[in-house]
Parts: sequence; structure tokens; C-alpha cells
Amino acid sequence: MNDLILIGDYKKFKLGMELFLSPPDFSVGTTPSEIIYTEDKMKLLHYIPITEKQHPVPVLVVYALVNRYYILDLQPDKSVMKKLLDEGFNVYVIDWGYPSGVDRYLALDDYVNGYINNAVDKIRELSGLDKISLLGVCQGGTLSVMYAALHPEKVKNLITLVTPVNFDTDKGQLHAWAKSLDVDNIVDNYGIVPGDLLNAGFLLTDPFRLMIDKYVGLFERMEYEPDDAVCQQRNEETVKNFLRMEKWIFDSPDQAGETFRQFMKDCYQKNLLIKNKMELNGKRINLEKISMPLLNVMAEFDHLVPNDASKPLTDAVSSSDKEMLVFPTGHIGIFVGGKSQKEVCPRIAAWLKPRSLDGSKEEKFKQKRKNRGSKVRIK
Amino acid sequence: MSMEKPGFESTQEFFDQWLKTYETTCGRLVEMPAVGPSREKSEKIMKGFSSFVNLYAAWMDSSINFQSVSMEAMRRMHEKTKSEMEGDISPEKYKDFYKAWIETYSETFKEFLNSGHFASDNGRFMSYFMEFQKRNREVLEENYLKPMNLPTKAELDDIYKELYSLKKTVRELTGQVKELSEKK
Repeated sequence: MNDLILIGDYKKFKLGMELFLSPPDFSVGTTPSEIIYTEDKMKLLHYIPITEKQHPVPVLVVYALVNRYYILDLQPDKSVMKKLLDEGFNVYVIDWGYPSGVDRYLALDDYVNGYINNAVDKIRELSGLDKISLLGVCQGGTLSVMYAALHPEKVKNLITLVTPVNFDTDKGQLHAWAKSLDVDNIVDNYGIVPGDLLNAGFLLTDPFRLMIDKYVGLFERMEYEPDDAVCQQRNEETVKNFLRMEKWIFDSPDQAGETFRQFMKDCYQKNLLIKNKMELNGKRINLEKISMPLLNVMAEFDHLVPNDASKPLTDAVSSSDKEMLVFPTGHIGIFVGGKSQKEVCPRIAAWLKPRSLDGSKEEKFKQKRKNRGSKVRIK
Repeated sequence: MSMEKPGFESTQEFFDQWLKTYETTCGRLVEMPAVGPSREKSEKIMKGFSSFVNLYAAWMDSSINFQSVSMEAMRRMHEKTKSEMEGDISPEKYKDFYKAWIETYSETFKEFLNSGHFASDNGRFMSYFMEFQKRNREVLEENYLKPMNLPTKAELDDIYKELYSLKKTVRELTGQVKELSEKK
């Protein structure tokens, strides 16, 4: 019996190694898109619609600066973007690119009032609408919150997904570590803060699971049935999915120094955003200026952005139409886990659809929900 | 100083003693103001050496902390598995052992990494690391890049800053021109 287990494990390992020695082709971000606007290293992508008719109000997805946006389109069956297209939305995303030395002086103001604002204007111009919907993810959500507070006249709906706005919490390790960092020293030394340095921080949140157990788990998942073609295909898929995620995790762009400096100091260390004291190029960000409908989505087991960091946004805004959703998943699981496709995306779409209607239909919807207050739902 | 103390106390004591001795002997020589025609260069090199000692001290502190956590994890692991490790170890037992090992080490290290002690230690280590890199670069620029007439990071940064400022001005002016032409 013992020998059989040993042989079985060895065969799984051998199979995994064989697949790694002739790795299957894999790709990420495969949902068809076109570049409609570029500025410096930033690109604005428009996903080609797949439904005959689209909801009138387009959606701009703003992802974080610290990783790449394609986690939202990792593979066709785990794609937030594709799901939104399936639901009939007209979807755009900002690809921040890879900052280099020349970008070291780019400030947070350039990202929010420059790149995001220009992307929004481009979409407004193409759609002929005054306002569009913003879907901000993680740090991209924080940037979207800043933008919505400074330019409420251009934002019809705001959706924040695992977005930190209150940085004074001891529940997330990153929040605790950031307080002790000499940010000026780091930025002055590097100029462009290496993505690998930030990645080392992420890996340190759970080093044994992220640097050992994850790889052991891959070989554990291998199925040894040499004569079963379907099983071989499953193994190949397992390896492909693993490599896609592995690519995303370690595809970490460097950070524009001045942006990193202000984000770390004003947000993580002084927690100015939620106190309505943060400024971009002399303009104060007042979260009460956010009066458009807000959907604040969180992951219950998020170890990077704890719920305490996201929840206060709902109370800080002046929107009368606001809702909070908490899903029992983790920070990454909310984009690529099973729940993402089955629950998270459909719930976001269901919230957004009636708020993306044209004039008369929207009035009817507003009348319907007039007597309803804000809601908190735990899925 | 006793070398028979358990854990890493004796390592810590030895290192503290070494640091004190260094600070009262070589450290003072290194901090001495340089003189003569190459005083500027010499002083930079000496300051670089000081920053290396600071980094080394922070590194030793971190290493000792991590070793202590490893020991604690090993102790907890032993507690968990001491009865199961008797007799032959079967592959099934090995798998259970691995599971217990990853759980114990992961949890023990997480406890440490969540502590305020680690946060401040890490902050201190990072500061010394940055300081050391900065000094190193200064020495490299001063002694190799400048004599070779090659551009330094500081010079490139000046250009980047100028470029950033020019781009910003061009954007602002373009916006103003657009606004004015729309008014016409």
C-alpha cells in the first residue's frame, strides 16, 4: 500500500515535470480589444462588444498601478471583462504600462487628473454622453474614488471593488508595515520603485504558502491516467491556469516614484483620504462630493485590503443610492475564483444595468427605488 | 558572556559585543574627518563603510529574529508530531507531516510578521538598505562614472525632471489653445 502511494506521488511529479519541460502554450488577456487612445505609456483599451445591443452608459475599468489589469481577463472562462461584455456593457480599461526612469516625476495628480480624466473625456466624446460609469479595482478603486470626488459631473455610477480608502487599520499586514517605512528614503534612492520590491512585500504576507505550498499543490493536483486523453487535457489545463496566475503575480510594473511617495505617505501613513484632507495639486479631495450611485464590493477574507479599509467609503460619500456587497472570498478570488463568475460579476451587472439606462427609463427606475435606503448584503 | 545559553541569545550577545567594540575602535577611525587633496572622495568612501556596518547590524538583528521564529516553529512542530513520528514513517504519514509542517510554520511566521516588532524592524532594515545603496551609488558615480565621462543617475534625474516639467507645460498650453479655438 505504502509503495503504491509513493509510486503514485512520483508519477504525479514526473507528469508535472514532463508538462513543464514541454509547456503548453498559454495566453492572458485574450478578450478582443482595440486601443483607442494613448498618452505616454498609458493605453485606453475598448473591448469589442459581443452583444447586439449595449446598455447606453459605457463602463471604464481602472485597475491598480502595482499589478497588471489582465487579472480581470486572465482566461476566457475566468474573465470579468468577458462577463461584463456578455451582460451587454460597453467596456473600456486603462492599461498603465510599465513606468521607467523617465516617469519618476509623475505624480498622483497626473494619474487622476491627467490620464484618468483624459480617458474619461475620450469615452465621453465617443459615446456622446456627459457621464460614464467607473469601475475601480483595488488601488485603481482608490484612484477612481479620488477622481469621482474631483470630477463628479463626469461620473454616472461608481463601483469600487476591494478598494482601500481607510488606511488606518491593523487588520492587513501591508497597512501595518507601510507605517514603518521611510518612504522618502526609498523614493529618493530608487526614483522608480522596483515592482520586485513590492512583490517581496506581498510574498512576505504568507511566505510558506506562497513560496512552497503553492508549487507542491500544483503537483498534487496532477491526475495520472496515461491512457485517458480527457485526463491529460485536464492536467494541461491545470498547468496552463497555474502558469497564467504565476505570470500575473510576478508581472509587477515598477512604480513612478512621486506617485508612490504621495500614495504611501498621504494614504497609508497619514490616512488623509478618508478624512477629506488629501490634496492633488492643491485641490482638496472631499469624499462628500461623491453623490452618484455607489456600489462598494468587498471580499470577506481579503488579506491585502481588509473590509475595515473599504467599508468606511459607504458612509463617507453623500450618495443617496449606495450599496455594499461582501462576498466570502479572497482578494484575488473575487476576480478569478468560482464565485467571481457565478456571483460577483452577475451582481455587479444587475446593479449597474438599471443605472445605465437612457433618460426616460432611468427616471422610472429612480421612482421605483425612491423609498429604499442604502443596503449592506453579505452573500 | 556565556556561549552555553539556549536559543540565539548568545549569538545576539556576541553580536552586540562586536558592535560595541567596533563603534569604540574602527568605527571612530572611519568617522574621522578626511584631510588632503582627496578628502571629499575619501570621506564618501568612509561614510559608505559606516552605512554598510549599519546595514550589517540591522541584517544581524533580522536574522536572529527569523532564527528565533524558526526555532519556535520547530518546537511547535515537534509538539504536534512527537507521537506520530514513532515507528516507521509511511508515505501517508509523510503527507500528514508535510501538512502539519506547512500549517505550523505558516501560522508561526504569520504571528511574527503581524507583530509591531517585525514592522519596525523591517522599516529600520529598509532604511539602512536604502542608505547603503545611496552611498554605494555615490562612490560609484564619483570614482568611476565621472572620470569615465559617463552620465550619472543624478544627471539623468535632472533631465527626467526637465522633461516632465516641459511635457506638463506643453499639455497645459495645448489645452488652452484648444479652448481658445473652440471659443472662436
